[in-house]
Amino acid sequence: MHKLSICTALFSLALCGILNAEESMSMNAADKAMYAEMLENNPAAMDIAEGEELFNAQIGQEAYAKMLGVSVKDLPKTIAGFPRLVKAAGKVVTLSQSLQMAAAQQGKAVPKLESKEMVKMSGYVKSLANDLKTNIDVKVNKQMEEMVVLGKHIFEERRGGRGLSCNSCHSPDIIGSRLRMQELPDLGAPTTASASTWHAYRMTQSAMVSFDKRMQQCMKNALLAELPLGSKEMVALEVYVTNKGKGNTIQIPGLKR
Amino acid sequence: MKTLIKVKPKDYKVGEIVKIDFMAMHPMESGMRKDKDTGQIVPAHFINEVNFFFNDKMLTKMVTWESLSVNPVLSISMKVSATGTLKVLAKDNKGDNVESSVAITPKG
Amino acid sequence: MERRSFLKGFGAVSACVALVPTIASAADEAKKVKGPNEMSVESALNAITGGKAVTPSSKVSLSAPEIAENGAVVPVKVSVESPMSANDYVKAIHVLATKNNNSRCANVYLTPANGEATFATRIKLGSTQDVLAVAEMSNGTFLSAKQNVKVTIGGCG
Repeated sequence: MHKLSICTALFSLALCGILNAEESMSMNAADKAMYAEMLENNPAAMDIAEGEELFNAQIGQEAYAKMLGVSVKDLPKTIAGFPRLVKAAGKVVTLSQSLQMAAAQQGKAVPKLESKEMVKMSGYVKSLANDLKTNIDVKVNKQMEEMVVLGKHIFEERRGGRGLSCNSCHSPDIIGSRLRMQELPDLGAPTTASASTWHAYRMTQSAMVSFDKRMQQCMKNALLAELPLGSKEMVALEVYVTNKGKGNTIQIPGLKR
Repeated sequence: MKTLIKVKPKDYKVGEIVKIDFMAMHPMESGMRKDKDTGQIVPAHFINEVNFFFNDKMLTKMVTWESLSVNPVLSISMKVSATGTLKVLAKDNKGDNVESSVAITPKG
Repeated sequence: MERRSFLKGFGAVSACVALVPTIASAADEAKKVKGPNEMSVESALNAITGGKAVTPSSKVSLSAPEIAENGAVVPVKVSVESPMSANDYVKAIHVLATKNNNSRCANVYLTPANGEATFATRIKLGSTQDVLAVAEMSNGTFLSAKQNVKVTIGGCG
């Protein structure tokens, strides 16, 4: 019994060690600067260029603006506010869902939310709002108010085999701790600027990944059932997390580990 | 093979040195990775030659290997000598090749 | 550490430990696949220099991160001090990953028209190792610089 408790204590200590590894175990300022420089030559720029071709062939700015009920001039500002209530949909939708609607309206094949075409296309469209600040408004109407409440609930709900929630790793009292040498990011901080820097090129996958897809991957790795893309719950989660980092400057494509 | 050439900075004069970035979408398979589904080794497939020409004159010649990252980026310098075309020829070990070019337009 | 945050951390750590593959162990070493272009750094250097001496020099500057976020994408920048004139220039910059199965990454043959002897790219590193840059000067000498890069596995997915 005595031995066991010592073992447990040592094991716990070891885990604490992993979580709060020495400063020297993570990147220094010069290393970080080198990675930041890589943003200038982001391979995802090629995906964005392809997305532009796809978007112009299938939808075009004019038709897209018309579907959203705004002028072409106001398109970037509108894009910076997704997920948002789109009248034609009668509900809060993501940027990708709004592109699906626009494609359908044009009588074109509707790309699936998971498809590479959609990731490229929505990446390009989001990049139209580059240098603007995310301007999601969760109080502008009842639907958005409801979605942000639902999103918060989903963010904090503990699910899956290990009873984890998004909040388990991304809550303010654990942010900045290290998990296997990676700092846990504050999803709302300007430096990690979650929603405004996705779509991003993921070095671990050598591909551009959208924000909702990244959240799905996070769920998978934490043993939570993945919320389907485009489901009310996933959209609500995107609303909540985007709102946390509201006002961060949009820079698409980002570059992530 | 999709490619992209960038010249930085955007504005430059004759006599100045610019940075040339060449990017390509390529799997850069090392020939050592096993396919998750089949268990078979994925054959090596990588860009093995990248040649830069300015106005058809060789600027820089590269021999590259599978150790470059997937979707590789290659950056070099160039002293701007005149108006003209920078051409990049990239080839992989399966014989796929692509030619891309960008206009060099010095101001003043 | 507060109990609450510790428990949260515990959950997060255990979830990831269970999922992320571990670093290659000694047993894996034996079954390691040999790549089709396998070449040790010694052989690669010999092929480049033809047996000539390679001198470490402050004229060659190599920057790579001390700790790589991800071994699959490690930024490497090389610059060599040189007038890049017709009679005095850097003929080539070679980048080698000393412990990769094929240590050769890129052989970059420059001309005076480059204006500056620089080369930057991103490489894959199979493990923690030295990255070596060798500059072949127009007078036939070889200068070098190296840097150790620690490759970590980090975070969740």
